[in-house]
Amino acid sequence: MNYQITHRTTYRYYGRVSLCHNEARLLPRETSRQFVEESALEVLPAPALRRERTDFFGNRVVNFSVQDIHQTLEVTARSRVTVAPRPSLTDTPSPGWEEVVCLVRDLPELGAMEARQYTLESPFIRPNAALAAYARPSFTAGRPLLEAVLELNRRIFKEFTYDPQFSTLATPLSQVLEERRGVCQDFAHLAIGCLRSLGLPARYVSGYLETLPPPGQPRLVGADASHAWLSVFIPGLGWIDLDPTNDLLPDERHVTLAWGRDYADVAPLKGVMIGGGSHALEVSVDVMPLLPPAEADDEAA
Amino acid sequence: MIEPTSFPPAVHDLLSDYAPGSGWDELLDADGKVRPAWEYLLAQLDALGLGELQARHEETQRLLRENGVTFNAHEDGRAASRAWTLDPIPLPILGDEWAQLEAGLAQRSRLLNRLAADLYGARTVFRRGVLPPELVHAHPGFLHAAWGALPAGARWLVFHAIDFARDEQGRWLVLGDRAQAPSGAGYALENRITLARALPTVYREAPLKRLASFLETERVTLARLAPRHVDKPNVVLLTPGPASQGYFEHAYLANYLSLSLVQGEDLVVRDGKVSLKTLGGLQPIDVILRRVTDGWCDPLELRGDSMLGVPGLLAAVREGGVVLANALGIGAIENPGLVPFLPALCRELLGEELLLQPVKSYWCGDGESLEAVLDRLDSLVIHQLTEQTITDGLHLDAAARATLAARIRSAPHLYVAQEHVRPAHAPVWDGRKLVAQPVMMRGFCVAEEDGYRVMPGALGAVSPDGRMAVQGGTTKDVWVLAESAQPHVSLLRQAHGPIVVTRDGADLPSRVADNLFWLGRYGERYDSRARLLREALLRLLERGEGAGEDGCLEDLLIALGIELGSVDAGPRGRYLALRRAFLGVFDEQNDGGLREIFAGMLRNGRAVRDHLGDESFRVLNRLRESLRDLPSPPSASAGRKALEEHLTLLTAFFGLCNETMPHHYGWRFLDIGRFVERVLSTLTMLELVFVKTEHPGVPLWEVMLATTDNLTAYRRRYRSALHPSAILDLLLFDEDNPRSVGYLLRRLRRQIERLPHPKATPYRSAEERLILEAQTTLALADIATLAEVTADGDPKGQRALGKLLRRLRAPLAELSEALSNSHFSHSEKPRQLIEMI
Repeated sequence: MNYQITHRTTYRYYGRVSLCHNEARLLPRETSRQFVEESALEVLPAPALRRERTDFFGNRVVNFSVQDIHQTLEVTARSRVTVAPRPSLTDTPSPGWEEVVCLVRDLPELGAMEARQYTLESPFIRPNAALAAYARPSFTAGRPLLEAVLELNRRIFKEFTYDPQFSTLATPLSQVLEERRGVCQDFAHLAIGCLRSLGLPARYVSGYLETLPPPGQPRLVGADASHAWLSVFIPGLGWIDLDPTNDLLPDERHVTLAWGRDYADVAPLKGVMIGGGSHALEVSVDVMPLLPPAEADDEAA
Repeated sequence: MIEPTSFPPAVHDLLSDYAPGSGWDELLDADGKVRPAWEYLLAQLDALGLGELQARHEETQRLLRENGVTFNAHEDGRAASRAWTLDPIPLPILGDEWAQLEAGLAQRSRLLNRLAADLYGARTVFRRGVLPPELVHAHPGFLHAAWGALPAGARWLVFHAIDFARDEQGRWLVLGDRAQAPSGAGYALENRITLARALPTVYREAPLKRLASFLETERVTLARLAPRHVDKPNVVLLTPGPASQGYFEHAYLANYLSLSLVQGEDLVVRDGKVSLKTLGGLQPIDVILRRVTDGWCDPLELRGDSMLGVPGLLAAVREGGVVLANALGIGAIENPGLVPFLPALCRELLGEELLLQPVKSYWCGDGESLEAVLDRLDSLVIHQLTEQTITDGLHLDAAARATLAARIRSAPHLYVAQEHVRPAHAPVWDGRKLVAQPVMMRGFCVAEEDGYRVMPGALGAVSPDGRMAVQGGTTKDVWVLAESAQPHVSLLRQAHGPIVVTRDGADLPSRVADNLFWLGRYGERYDSRARLLREALLRLLERGEGAGEDGCLEDLLIALGIELGSVDAGPRGRYLALRRAFLGVFDEQNDGGLREIFAGMLRNGRAVRDHLGDESFRVLNRLRESLRDLPSPPSASAGRKALEEHLTLLTAFFGLCNETMPHHYGWRFLDIGRFVERVLSTLTMLELVFVKTEHPGVPLWEVMLATTDNLTAYRRRYRSALHPSAILDLLLFDEDNPRSVGYLLRRLRRQIERLPHPKATPYRSAEERLILEAQTTLALADIATLAEVTADGDPKGQRALGKLLRRLRAPLAELSEALSNSHFSHSEKPRQLIEMI
């Protein structure tokens, strides 16, 4: 699939801001299935300094500083990406999950070695016995890892309520687990926490999901949102994405922005300002499907 | 056994009672013979004699106390003093033995510098299987944000502190590293200077290596780190502030190395560079000697809740706009999990064998070690990497050990076990004789052009377990012996290196100006309240139970803003109530009481420690101690005596400030703070005495003159009975009287006019207008009407005086805010943007 993605963040301040330093992870990275044709970050007012770099996890980061006095900051990321379909995983064999734990722990082989860092605790996720206990029913002895994680993915989808009112960035994972509700970010953290508590490597993925309008209705522009899911490392298959919020294996409709140990590594936009007083935040995301070039030609004809 | 005849009598006394440690002893060898390193020292101690040694020891403690070596700056209350003690017996190490140690310490710095560069760059140690990656990533010292922040070949480790000790067999053993904020070098320096003062004969001709040239290397290194090629790079020392444990040392080092001592809020990142916010605008900074730990340095990319850091600092580092010593992320090398891998890392990264052995450690992540560790948990110290906790297996009961074992088994890669460390013994003075105590050391390395230079000396510390006590404890000066006597080079008179930063004038940080202003205000407030209280206590003591009749005491209650509280019947009841009320001003809990005011003074004084002379600070410390040692409440006479002393100390403090501070902007702000406060308190007193009082008359006028320190001036001038119009003239209009409002306003105006104008403008600044307003009001006052204020209190004159005093007061009360808007307002705190999900 081809998409044109527009992600706009607007801050409106009561007072005047004299200086603002920011860090954005809003430009999509390339993956084995994702090709980024075009991407640009527009900042208003124009920053005095901006630098793009690649972070520890391979994500694209833009650091910028707005040094003129301003009362509104508008950051717009526009990207055109192509996402290739995922190879089918139906009936794909995978090693038993305990075997993966040992493989990852013991093998010095490069893939497993890099994967090991994703078994550790991270700012938002502390592996613990409660998380392991929640995961356990899906991880019976000798069960192939792929089968086990698919079941965990489905259980989170079924047993948890999607509730945007419930959680904030500060809601701890233990509370999400206890009250069985949250948003995509919480579910991704939860699944990652479950896997790490068993000694399995899992990472957090931020991005977008194309939302389909109800049948017969037009698409609403700007009504989409950022999305988050997770990826688990399976020796032989590599990193496999899972979306517990939608009980899906991400395919062509998931667009990846960045990945890391958890949300803290991939926050789309952070900033520290001087002045400004209180402020309001407005976010609009638009994931617009584009017809592939061939079809577009047909239509024009 | 010691040959009784081979030593002079005093040495014999020193040694006869000395019971050497069970293992290696620094002083005596296995045959009880004195080791060669001690010959010079023992001869000197002999010349001194035992009694004198104790006297010098006490002198040492006094010198240290005066220098304010407190590890805990919060300790303003009456808690036990937590200052270090400094043992008067230095610990000598032979030159050739030190040479080996030196090579080992320098190698360790080179190794850890290379390791940091590799972890934050190419990461070859993981690819080549020398180090398990989870060991590094599990430790919070590894900062993902710092990855790739420095170009290849840059120094990650500039200043390095290494803890080491001799074990019981006499082998040197490295115990650990400090790199984020490697403290202790300042204390080592202070120990050396203090002992050289307390034991001049011992130190003057001592065959020991001096520390001065090491400090010179530190200066040169800092200057060379500058990213731009400039003649005089600007170097600052970044401290977490006076509330941090290491603040004394930060101020001490800043002074020594001629650096500005700054806090995070003094710095700002613009255009990818770091600048110091000063009265004269932004001043570019090239190098930051950092004593703020990694995570707190940048609220944008590191800990978002940090108020100690500088937003955008890491981005400025990536831009190459500033160099930090040490680099952000260096905390990764403080990881105890690295220890078992150091020999292999040394071969891999340096192609050398590790010279100095680290304490024996085991990473539980490898299966064999895990079982070995679990078998003997009771004899090991366990480090948990993510929590950074340390558990001594020895102190656990069986149940706790089982719990710990289960925890280790569930995540073995997060645990590292270390053998116990029992440092070798060295002689320590206990007040009467030498006793053997376990002693560890902290050594210091600084980067040089091609490697590292090691301080020829160290901070010694009595430590039974090889860990440096955070608070308290006994420290030692460590001597590295030279072939011959080394001339004593005064460290204090070193020529400044190439990195002198002028520290006053327009480059004064705005925050420092703010602190100096409030230092002046609190100091003066203490002064005026102490005078009022002294007067009240004098009257209480003089009149005893007749004090209830004294109207002045009622007015003094009002002047001090205190309530009388419940009063029992009779003159005695009233006397006791008055006594309780006045002595309550000494209370800890008293709002606006002396202790609270002093806390404000000390807080601001500490925040500008490097702008005050040592003498001034010593006086401030003496005031702190006097107040601390005063019981609460004291007796009336003890209170009065203490106040006399405090007033003298305050005068000495401000006098020394006047004498020693360069008369630039910093001094002006201190002066303005003092005199704003003094005018305000004089105006309040005048209003009380001539307008509001219900007991007008001679006694109260006397109080007025005494509390404003004008009694002598008045007597000399008028020699006659007290007359209100003469008092008003002396206190309001007489510009030659340094206590008069007229004089104070003139002085304030002169100081304010000489402050920098942040923006060139043809108009007067708000604070200039305010002071002019007050001066004009005073000049235009109708003296004739005021003169009618008599002992009877003519209502017309009183009204006129009341109005005048209020009109003088208003602009002065506004002055603080005007100054803050024009000069201190750069110091606005940064805040986080709301994050979206």
